[in-house]
Amino acid sequence: MTAGPLVLLVEDEVPLRRFLRTTLGAHGFRLVEASSVAEAELALGAQSPELILLDLGLPDGDGVDLTRRIREWSAVPILVLSARGREDHKVEALDAGADDYLTKPFGVEELLARLRVALRHASASRAPDAAVLELDGLRIDVARRRVTLRGAEVHLTPIEYRLLTTLAKHLGRVVTQQQLLTEVWGHAHAHHTHYLRVYMAALRRKIEDDPARPKLLRTEQGVGYRLRDPREG
Amino acid sequence: MDTQSEARERRRAGYPQAVALVAAATALAALGRPFLALPDVVMVYLLAIMVVAVRYERGASVLASALSVAAYDLFFIPPYFTFAVHDAHNVLSFVMMFVVGQLLSALALRLRRGEREARAAALHARTEQMRSTLLSAVSHDLRTPLAAITGAATTLREDGPGLSASQREDMVDTICEEAERLERLVSNLLDMTRLESGAMTVKREWVPLEEVVGSALTRLERRLHGRAVTTALPEALPLVSIDPVLLEQVFVNLIENATKYTPPGSPLELRARCTTDGVELLVADRGPGVPPGLEERVFERFYRGIHVGVGGAGLGLPISRGIVEAHGGTLTVRAREGGGAEFRVLLPLPGPMPAPPPEPSLADAEAP
Repeated sequence: MTAGPLVLLVEDEVPLRRFLRTTLGAHGFRLVEASSVAEAELALGAQSPELILLDLGLPDGDGVDLTRRIREWSAVPILVLSARGREDHKVEALDAGADDYLTKPFGVEELLARLRVALRHASASRAPDAAVLELDGLRIDVARRRVTLRGAEVHLTPIEYRLLTTLAKHLGRVVTQQQLLTEVWGHAHAHHTHYLRVYMAALRRKIEDDPARPKLLRTEQGVGYRLRDPREG
Repeated sequence: MDTQSEARERRRAGYPQAVALVAAATALAALGRPFLALPDVVMVYLLAIMVVAVRYERGASVLASALSVAAYDLFFIPPYFTFAVHDAHNVLSFVMMFVVGQLLSALALRLRRGEREARAAALHARTEQMRSTLLSAVSHDLRTPLAAITGAATTLREDGPGLSASQREDMVDTICEEAERLERLVSNLLDMTRLESGAMTVKREWVPLEEVVGSALTRLERRLHGRAVTTALPEALPLVSIDPVLLEQVFVNLIENATKYTPPGSPLELRARCTTDGVELLVADRGPGVPPGLEERVFERFYRGIHVGVGGAGLGLPISRGIVEAHGGTLTVRAREGGGAEFRVLLPLPGPMPAPPPEPSLADAEAP
């Protein structure tokens, strides 16, 4: 039996470590624990975790800085844990290279869903991109550049198509406004959130049955957008 | 409140004002010279000095006093238009004018300081009172869920093995639900404090209302399970200039309220439209509605209505109103035809909106 993925847990709060240790262990993950940036760096030197759970509120340093440093030499998926009301902090971490975030307090279901998505993307990056994506009735055929909703063709403008495929590339993961703007429009437009919202609204209207109650194109205010992975509920 | 910058302003403005007032006094006294005796002229100057001393800082009042003495000497004491003095008694007038000016400004300073201290004391008293009200109202609301959590958790620990699976599940559910309630309460308290202390900053962006409604509904997905939620947001609704994180919270509060105060499964409607007053969003339910006459009271802090068993500290609505008002809008409620309550968020139409973006060239222009 292959051992479960190795997770580096960087968390200084003991009760949180306890609960995470318990649940991750119960779900087959192996754990290495660190309670500070310094300990995390030591652990990273000695082990090769397949995923990092990083609390942004560490006593001896900035989780965002650590993320940036890790990204200089590794693409290991990083999930950041942050408090409510600190959207700016989360966005900073995401733009620095973190893959997704969890807002404390969070439940186990959400944690596991995000973990699975992150690990899936990590393993998929070593495999060729899927040519066709099926999401609850929405079919994105990247090879033929065709999008259909329950069989009926959806006519998207080039920008809308690009937005959708960018989000699909990060299926199940949050993408910050800046990331989306940069990937679709280029660095010069990284601050034109107005553009983004208008085009996202247009895309929602074409793809969602009720654009005011989206099932796939989720908005996470203050952070970015997420194309929901129906496999994760 | 008397701030450092206000004091500095006052200091700067004082000097030219002193000159102006002494000049005015001189003109006045000169005009009235036929009817005024010398003591009356002194009075006019003293008036000018008094005004400067009371309204401005020490430096200005010294200047006013000095200028008044000089002007008085120059224009009203023979030999006219010289600083020489023939009659030594006039020197007494000079001294008196100066001394009075300084006394007055010292008095004014003490008065201002006294005012400042009184204001600070009043603010302190108000804050203390608010804190104690908040604490007492809240300690009960904090303790109740904590009691439930402690009870359930210790039951699991002590009686664990003896409990049936459904009993255990019951205890665990209690812990989860009460912890959620506690989390909401803490959030609300923090928001209330930020609102009251003016620390809530509104970071405006141009946002489609539909997007904020959507994210609010997503947040409440579990709570809304089993309810018919209809949305009617016209496509042509203009973008609004708002803080999306804050407004999302308002919608979450309003929708959550609706779920708490209406029977499970009863429908909810969210409608928006553009009016001459602004963009309006209605959150309407088919519950018991707000009792007539209490439409304003529900927005009071800690007001919880007569519904027994409904949790929450009664902060959701006042916080929502605070946020909407911080955007220049209004939040009201009224009874709905056919039963239920209708909450109305009205956001003012801001100035001209930036033109919708043209379809710009893609990063690596690949045509589909």
